[in-house]
Amino acid sequence: MSCGTKCTVQEMRKAHKVLAEYDYELGKVERGYNNRTLYVNLSDNRIESKAVSQEMKDIFIGGRGFGLKLLWDAVKETTKWNDPENEIIISPGPIGGITQYPGAGKSLVVSISPLTGAIADSNVGGYFGPLLKFSGWDALEIQGKAQADVIVYIDGNSGKVTIEDAPDEEVNSHILAEQLTEMYADSESDKRNVSVVSSGMAGQHSLMGMLNFSFYDVRRKLARLKQAGRGGIGTVFRDKHIKALVVKFSNVKGDSNGPADIERIAKAGLKVHKELHDYDDVQCRMRKQGTAHLPGIAHDYDFLPVHNFRYGSHPEARKVTGIVWEQLFTQGIPDGCWYGCTMGCAKAVDNFMPLTGPYKGERVTVDGPEYETISCCGTNLGIFDPHAIVEINFYVDTYGIDSISFGTATAFAMECFELGLIDKNATGGLDFRFGSALSVLEALHQMARGEGFGRIIGQGVRRMKKHFAEAYGADAQLLADIGMECKGLEYSGYVSKGSLAQQGGYGLTLKGAQHDEAWLIFMDAVNRQIPTFEDKAEALYYFPMFRTWFGLNGLCKLPWNDVEPADNAETDEPAKVPGHVQNYVDIFSGVTGREISKEDIIRMSEAMYDFQRLFNLRLGYGTRVHDDIPYRSQGPVLDVEYLSRADKYDKELKEAVGFDPEGKTVAEKIHALKSYRKDQYEKLKDAVYKRRGWTPDGIPKLETVKRLRIDFPDVVALINKHAK
Amino acid sequence: MITVNGETYPWQEGMTVSDALKACNYKFPLIIVRIDGRLIPRDQYAVQPVEDNADIKAFHLISGG
Amino acid sequence: MKIIGKKPELCTACHACENACSQAWFKVQDIGLSCIEVREAAAGSGKTAVTVCDQCGECIDICPVSAISRQQNSIVRISKKECVGCYSCVGFCPASAMHMHRNQLVPFKCVACGVCTKVCPTGAIYLEEV
Repeated sequence: MSCGTKCTVQEMRKAHKVLAEYDYELGKVERGYNNRTLYVNLSDNRIESKAVSQEMKDIFIGGRGFGLKLLWDAVKETTKWNDPENEIIISPGPIGGITQYPGAGKSLVVSISPLTGAIADSNVGGYFGPLLKFSGWDALEIQGKAQADVIVYIDGNSGKVTIEDAPDEEVNSHILAEQLTEMYADSESDKRNVSVVSSGMAGQHSLMGMLNFSFYDVRRKLARLKQAGRGGIGTVFRDKHIKALVVKFSNVKGDSNGPADIERIAKAGLKVHKELHDYDDVQCRMRKQGTAHLPGIAHDYDFLPVHNFRYGSHPEARKVTGIVWEQLFTQGIPDGCWYGCTMGCAKAVDNFMPLTGPYKGERVTVDGPEYETISCCGTNLGIFDPHAIVEINFYVDTYGIDSISFGTATAFAMECFELGLIDKNATGGLDFRFGSALSVLEALHQMARGEGFGRIIGQGVRRMKKHFAEAYGADAQLLADIGMECKGLEYSGYVSKGSLAQQGGYGLTLKGAQHDEAWLIFMDAVNRQIPTFEDKAEALYYFPMFRTWFGLNGLCKLPWNDVEPADNAETDEPAKVPGHVQNYVDIFSGVTGREISKEDIIRMSEAMYDFQRLFNLRLGYGTRVHDDIPYRSQGPVLDVEYLSRADKYDKELKEAVGFDPEGKTVAEKIHALKSYRKDQYEKLKDAVYKRRGWTPDGIPKLETVKRLRIDFPDVVALINKHAK
Repeated sequence: MITVNGETYPWQEGMTVSDALKACNYKFPLIIVRIDGRLIPRDQYAVQPVEDNADIKAFHLISGG
Repeated sequence: MKIIGKKPELCTACHACENACSQAWFKVQDIGLSCIEVREAAAGSGKTAVTVCDQCGECIDICPVSAISRQQNSIVRISKKECVGCYSCVGFCPASAMHMHRNQLVPFKCVACGVCTKVCPTGAIYLEEV
């Protein structure tokens, strides 16, 4: 009998009906692996253990690689995101869970994306991945769909997995994570041994659902949340009727990951701890501001998105720079999203009081905002009020939606409203001009309720473009130019108009318009280090490959280059931070006992990178046309945009394009620049595909997959099919 | 006249590396400066003089989420 | 509270203190396992530096699991049971007085027990009330 929303945690647990139970032998992690993964099918309540082969470890490594391998074997080429055979796979990778090196507790989540139809991967902090591994599993693979909301509980202390009906718990994450932490922990001191994965009400009513991964903060005494944001995996989660995943393991020690050589790892980690201690205050201030140190820099260098990426700076940007956030964040708390991360960028605003929505007037702790939320949900919407940004941040998190997709989709809707492409009839009466924070919040609450204009925004930019053209007769070309998505995934918060390489950094990606593969604005547009197509292609080879490796191993990107060793400037290639690359060689070798070189890092990643590209191809994507990007990311679409940087654009027309801007109308100049820049992007594609060993259509060549040892029969068959 | 990352800027008597970066509006904390190929330590930016006609490379490293 | 006071200029670098410390806490004579450290101040300087915890407590705030706390006698101690072996405290100790060793999963530090002071032949280290 359900006790409704008012019941206690004990009553909620009593209402759980165990649908399936699976006992397993506890093991010991050896050199980063348990050599088995956990399979859970929610359609028939089946729980099984799957063996991990040596080949799987050698080639797929772990983390995102394991996710890709398991998903590849589970789906067909026709599988859609909401088919029962689609899966959600969570894996920490072999390094994930070590406590001696900053940023080593990440979970990698893989699924077929509702937004793109292709592969989504997301890298997230919180304790779930490491505790999952120490409970005995290198990955958790969930297939099928439950009939009603369930919880999957992995008890790594006793060796038991259960699927439980969970009718009474809250859906929204800031409450649900608290309820389940209390429910499954034996005591206050046991709470940090529990981690919860959950989404929220908007996760089930939009395509941009996100997953929150909890970590219990022993000082604040509450379950904090980190987000697997990109690609809509929270939507898949809710579509499977998963309310939450819970793991518990109560004996984390320095050697829980079973490393081959712990001293080697500790020495590398100690170097970074000392760098952070000595230099962070004068370098990035990650420990005090997190990535919120970036809006000011982005504004200074003209790449802070403002008004749906029209502009790269704004006079009001000073209201949202790092120092403002430093004062709002509670200082002096470790704030690492896994043990041993002294970068500690998981900042939080405590005692925040929302002014709208269901939690209006309550006191809450808000995780963040990070740079992407400040830019996508703030400046890009013309919102420069920190309180409003924190409130949006709070609700996107607890409602379980990706702040990047939400912000960029909302920015698109706002620009359509400003341009008269849609009106109040479309928005249900909401004033959707830039800067209308209350309207944005109302749309957000609507999204959580599955109603009104909020529900439309939740479908994402790609579907909104189609809808606005069909329902309101909006100009399809203009919508295509200003709709900031690639492959169906919304852009993250950097204006790439000034950097061709960064346009590639967004477009020539696996999962869509996300900067986590390559961030090249400084190298390209400020330093002018990579002037030729070949230089840019090299950067768009090296950095995506290098950064993919973090996701194979359960690592965070930030400690790689958001703190710099003292001698970095004296190295050959400071942008690569060679001292830290050596640390990664040491910690991988130190964990697995498999001695690698820095070149091996690239080789390992490249195999998985190309495998994921081919996975997209298998699902009907993954070719040249899918790397197209909206013109707003390449250059000025509107007169106001052109005129705001007219000197720069006129100069480019004269010097690079060979078009004399003298006496021409703005429209003529925009057209000439557009033709030139779009052509440049096509040339960039050619150069990058060549460097990556792909065909001109953007498909990895047979010789490339052979070199990378991913020439499995079905991969070869897939390539041959497309060669015809 | 000085050159920074390929762009020219006016030179001034007594100019330091910090002044030159300021002239370019370069405020990023992780910048590596070389003057005519010579690496300048970061703690010297405020005092290191910049001669007229200097060719400065101000390499911004990558940071951010 | 009591801390280990020091007059490095009196130190003869005999390392008796380090052996006494490791013997007291780890039952071996291994200066790598000592909570007090006697080293040359700078290469070729001929001077000796004595490194030992002054109980400042900065490590308390860096610990992700609150395994480090100040006791009633004001001494800063690590709970081995709670410690997850991340060594954040080692990297962030302003005096470099938090130690790690390849055979130890948790860091270790001076708790001002005074064993080392009893074996110092020159009075270079001593228990001091501050």
